[in-house]
Amino acid sequence: MNDFILSSLIFTPLLAALLVLLLPVRLQHTIKAVALAGTVVQMGLAILLYFGFDGTVLANGQQGYQFVEKLNWIGFTLGSLGRFQIDYFLGVDGISISMVLLTGIVGVIGVISSWTITKNVKGYFLLYLLLLTSVMGCFLALDFFLFYLFFEFMLLPMYFLIGIWGGPKREYAAIKFFIYTLVGSLFILLVMIGLYTSVIDPQATAVQMGFAEQGAEAGKAVVTQVQQMLQRNAISSYNLVRTFSIPAMMEPANFIPNSLLHVLSGSVLWDLPLRFIAFLLLFAGFAIKVPSVPVHTWLPDAHVEAPTPISVLLAAILLKVGGYGLIRIVYPIFPDAGAYFAVLVGGLGVLSIIYGALNALAMSDLKKLIAYSSVSHMGFVLLGLASLTVEGVNGAVYMMFSHGIISAMLFLVVGVIYDRAHDRMIQNFRGLAHMMPVYTVFVVIAFFASLGLPGFSGFIAELLVLVGGFGAPEATGLLPRWLTVVAVFGLLLAAAYYLWALQRMFFGKYWIFPELREKATLTDLTTREYLMLVPLALLALLFGIFPHLLLDKIGLTVTGFTELVLQRGQEQLGLILSTLR
Amino acid sequence: MELTQLLQPLAASPQTIAALVVLLLPLFGFLVLLPFGRLLPRHGDWLGIALTAGAFILSGWLFTETWNVTTFHSRTTWFSMPGSSLTDFTLGILLDNLTVLMLVIVTFISLLVQLFSVGYMHADKGYSRYFAFLGLFTFSMLGIVLVDNLLLLFMFWELVGLSSYLLIGFWFHKPAAVAANKKAFLFNRVGDIGLLLGLFAFYTYYRTFDLETLRTLVGSGTWESGSFIVTYTLKGQPWLVEIGPTFLTLAGLGLFMGCVGKSAQFPLQVWLPDAMQGPTPVSALIHAATMVAAGVYLVARCYAFFTPDALVVIALVGALTALVGALVALTQNDIKAVLAFSTISQLGYMVMGMGTGAHDAALFHLATHAFFKAALFLNSGIIIHAMHRGLHHHHLHLNAQDIRNMGGLRKALPLTFYTYVVATAALVGLPLFSGFLSKDAILSGSWAWAQTMGGGAYFTVPLIGFTVVLLTAFYMARHMWFIFFGEFRAPFSVQDLRLKASQEVERVMLWPVVVLAILSLGIFFSLNPLSFSSSWLLQGIALEKLGGTAILSGRLLDAVKLQDEANHTLHLVFGILSTLLGVAGISWAILKYRNRPEAQLLHEGPQHAAGRLSQRHFYLNEFYAKAFVQPALVLARTLYRNDKRVIDYALNNGSKALVIIAKIMAWFDRWVVDGLVWLVGVLSKLAGRLGQGLQNGKVQSYYAYSLFGFILLMLYIILF
Repeated sequence: MNDFILSSLIFTPLLAALLVLLLPVRLQHTIKAVALAGTVVQMGLAILLYFGFDGTVLANGQQGYQFVEKLNWIGFTLGSLGRFQIDYFLGVDGISISMVLLTGIVGVIGVISSWTITKNVKGYFLLYLLLLTSVMGCFLALDFFLFYLFFEFMLLPMYFLIGIWGGPKREYAAIKFFIYTLVGSLFILLVMIGLYTSVIDPQATAVQMGFAEQGAEAGKAVVTQVQQMLQRNAISSYNLVRTFSIPAMMEPANFIPNSLLHVLSGSVLWDLPLRFIAFLLLFAGFAIKVPSVPVHTWLPDAHVEAPTPISVLLAAILLKVGGYGLIRIVYPIFPDAGAYFAVLVGGLGVLSIIYGALNALAMSDLKKLIAYSSVSHMGFVLLGLASLTVEGVNGAVYMMFSHGIISAMLFLVVGVIYDRAHDRMIQNFRGLAHMMPVYTVFVVIAFFASLGLPGFSGFIAELLVLVGGFGAPEATGLLPRWLTVVAVFGLLLAAAYYLWALQRMFFGKYWIFPELREKATLTDLTTREYLMLVPLALLALLFGIFPHLLLDKIGLTVTGFTELVLQRGQEQLGLILSTLR
Repeated sequence: MELTQLLQPLAASPQTIAALVVLLLPLFGFLVLLPFGRLLPRHGDWLGIALTAGAFILSGWLFTETWNVTTFHSRTTWFSMPGSSLTDFTLGILLDNLTVLMLVIVTFISLLVQLFSVGYMHADKGYSRYFAFLGLFTFSMLGIVLVDNLLLLFMFWELVGLSSYLLIGFWFHKPAAVAANKKAFLFNRVGDIGLLLGLFAFYTYYRTFDLETLRTLVGSGTWESGSFIVTYTLKGQPWLVEIGPTFLTLAGLGLFMGCVGKSAQFPLQVWLPDAMQGPTPVSALIHAATMVAAGVYLVARCYAFFTPDALVVIALVGALTALVGALVALTQNDIKAVLAFSTISQLGYMVMGMGTGAHDAALFHLATHAFFKAALFLNSGIIIHAMHRGLHHHHLHLNAQDIRNMGGLRKALPLTFYTYVVATAALVGLPLFSGFLSKDAILSGSWAWAQTMGGGAYFTVPLIGFTVVLLTAFYMARHMWFIFFGEFRAPFSVQDLRLKASQEVERVMLWPVVVLAILSLGIFFSLNPLSFSSSWLLQGIALEKLGGTAILSGRLLDAVKLQDEANHTLHLVFGILSTLLGVAGISWAILKYRNRPEAQLLHEGPQHAAGRLSQRHFYLNEFYAKAFVQPALVLARTLYRNDKRVIDYALNNGSKALVIIAKIMAWFDRWVVDGLVWLVGVLSKLAGRLGQGLQNGKVQSYYAYSLFGFILLMLYIILF
């Protein structure tokens, strides 16, 4: 079981999707049941993985992965160009484990929320399950090609889920989402190809050179020998095995001398070292997904048009792929540029925090307000990451997890009123607390959780990010202190937009816009809604009161990550800058 | 010093476990009452009261175990992140004199307020929700005083903010109430931002939030060539921390910002008067006795971290707040507004005491104020309740809280009157009452501080203190005159305010007030009710009893203390002076209003610009709306327009441009590229047609063509 748990995690929804495909259209309840079963199994596996994951194993992005699965997938030899290798390479460390758990949980919540879908049920759940497969694949892949495959594949179901099951302007939103993300993934593709031409797999090269029978046999000494020979240009180009393996890309010794992205290549484009350009391209690609201001405008539109469960998935897990990509790929492979552009990344983070929050303040559509609050909260991820302090990066990962739980709750809460009134403009409602008291309780819980009330997971996340950012000038010297001081004002703005919305929509005397009165039936929460909101609220509390549940799993990986990135970053930055002079 | 050593877990003791129980009892009440309260008999009020009573009894036991005996401290690891520069985040409970004093005050007043609420909130729709929220509040407030580290303190601090939000907006159908609770939360958040930044500043250098460890580290610091040096080891690695004096002062002021928000200090005090929209018992408990005092408690707990410069700022803010609060209270007509501004003013006193080194006096005033102000608020609740009853009975729509509609109430509500007199005397600071002791302690402390600091402008602070005594006496006397003296000004008999002809008010509401009024007598705080220095309470909360000997402003505070002791004879003068000022204020108010006809009192209002300035709270609300709220909203809308009209505009038109280019390309493709291909086709077709004609199968023609061709070829060779 343990050997294939990661593959099972990825392919369980796919299997369910195949089943759905085989079922006749009219068996709608069976289709829903199959989708539910598929996601429940996936969640079960994710929870098993969470408990099975050993948080005391040192990991740093380069090594220390657990439950690793590695198979040769595609390989071909091109004579003097050497051998090209693509692996089916999966593994988890402390950073992916939190995302896997989150995906498992939100996947089930999303199916429960989708229970009321009536339009083309079969197609809907087929795409839904495909989406879960590709997201899970993203979080587990350790081969860049495999990651990219899943990353790109996410677009397809998402496009149709918004474009077919969405609101009135769904086509515009879907195409906007698609093109934005596609542009981002083109940047990523560019860098991926550049890396592929530059990086070799030392173990496979050792096999090719006859130093070892199988890759796994090549011990540390052999690997070091191969790497040294590589840097001396002592390996025949026929024997070089190029790889997409992300851990291999993190090791500067695996870069072919004089290749485009080698630290000492001295290659420059528009006065910037090529490695910096590569970093910026990758960053742009993932920043679109995060999303960071100023490439965020697809998000509000996508959210406003998407049906509730798809909004939940989008906010809770799809956005996390952006932050996850930054941590898994961008920073460890280009630590030099990460150090060099820390102020840019952190600055965009702070800009997102403030800009998103101010925009949320101006919204009259409750769902759009929450979409902008997502922009604001994901800014904390960028800030924490840019600080490269242990607290900051832990906070960034914690924020991704916590935002996943809380934003799911927020979008569900918006869905509740939209289901009943087919409207969610703040000015069209007043005093909803009189009609829907229990619903209001959950709105208050969700809003306060999101505005960082202690006791909820969001507080721990924000605290860690901010404390890391504040201490960054001393700890890493990467960020100026005023950035964090500005970011703290995001907390004030968050309180402002949430409390103002509460005041306008839920409190005061009951009133509802006259045209809505006939359609709207303002009943309180149903059992199905309880089933989604109660677990999420409890999870937000659980991870707010017992942060060690998550931090014990991610802590060592994050520490290894920061040490690796900081140390390598400073070394390589020095080398790169020296080649420029 | 090894930091991990300082942060080691400390075993639990029966006392700290009891303290944990005290903390969790009200939380349990909240968790039961919020979802299930309506199902319980009497909507569960007995449960909330019983739990609080249990907490009070346990607190009393803890008081006897701890007060002047020893301290108890238990600590355990909360969570940790691996890393050479990190310590564990800890959770702990610390019981010392200050903690147990606060425990007793909080649980006792919470208990009395809940008892009072049984009468006051009777038959309210949200009765069980009310008791649930009070449980949440009591839990959070107890958390603030029990915890041993600043991060946990901040967490409970925010939870107190939440419960205050919920209770101010308890009657959420009232638009004013939900505007007020939002305002309260936001103004508190402004302060919390400062508090958070202060916490970060300390954490960045000392790697922990634990108060005792922080105090030890700060105490071990030395000043070398203008910067503050602290050395310690962390996981075996030596750390040398070097902090400039400006940063140190700013960090302390960051912490103080938390107090400015929560304790309604200038310039963030504007939320407190609005918070009076909540039920009156809530105002008594949260917005007079306990929560607003949390800021002062915070300053006391962090006293080791303030530099002398920071203390000057604290003293000035406190003095200014005391003055502003008193000035505004002079012209208020709402019964609760007067008390609210008086609370602001008194909180200013406490903070001023903190700033001037009278740490113990400020805490002493916190304790005495809690009782007499709670008494005043609960009393005003009785009056509002009675006014409502009378107005309702006579189907009148007058403002039940406007003191201009009252008058002569002492005839109908004598017990309320007497308790009000006692509490007011304590607030004004007349001899034999509790306020006299604590206020004089603050005044003489601030005088000694001004002397130590070198006099001159520093004397402004104690002078403001004395001025406020006069103002307090005036506005309270005016307040009482309007309520209790003269003729009743609402158009019905004053006796209709009574519950029954034979009974003034529900017993459950009366007794808490009587108890609180009795506790406003000086004798309970000092066996010699004319001298604060012999007060058992003041001696128990002296700085050296709270583990605070090595502190940043230590040298200054020692000097202030010496100066204060040297001022021995001055104390007598201050006592007499403040009494005279109090009497003067009272006489001034009586003389001013005694001969006013009732009709004039009914329409009392500010006559001149200064009066309007006072009544409108110096137009601070209007200023904030214009200076911050509206610009923020305009900025928000502008940014959204930027999203739509700049980013999306560029994107949409960019994609439109792409489509146009694509159309042009398609046209080019259709007409030029395809056209060329078509042309080739057409041309070859034409050529074919032409060739077709030539190929007629006659040898003669072929011969003729060949000859023609040959001639052409020849011509070409010859000519070119």
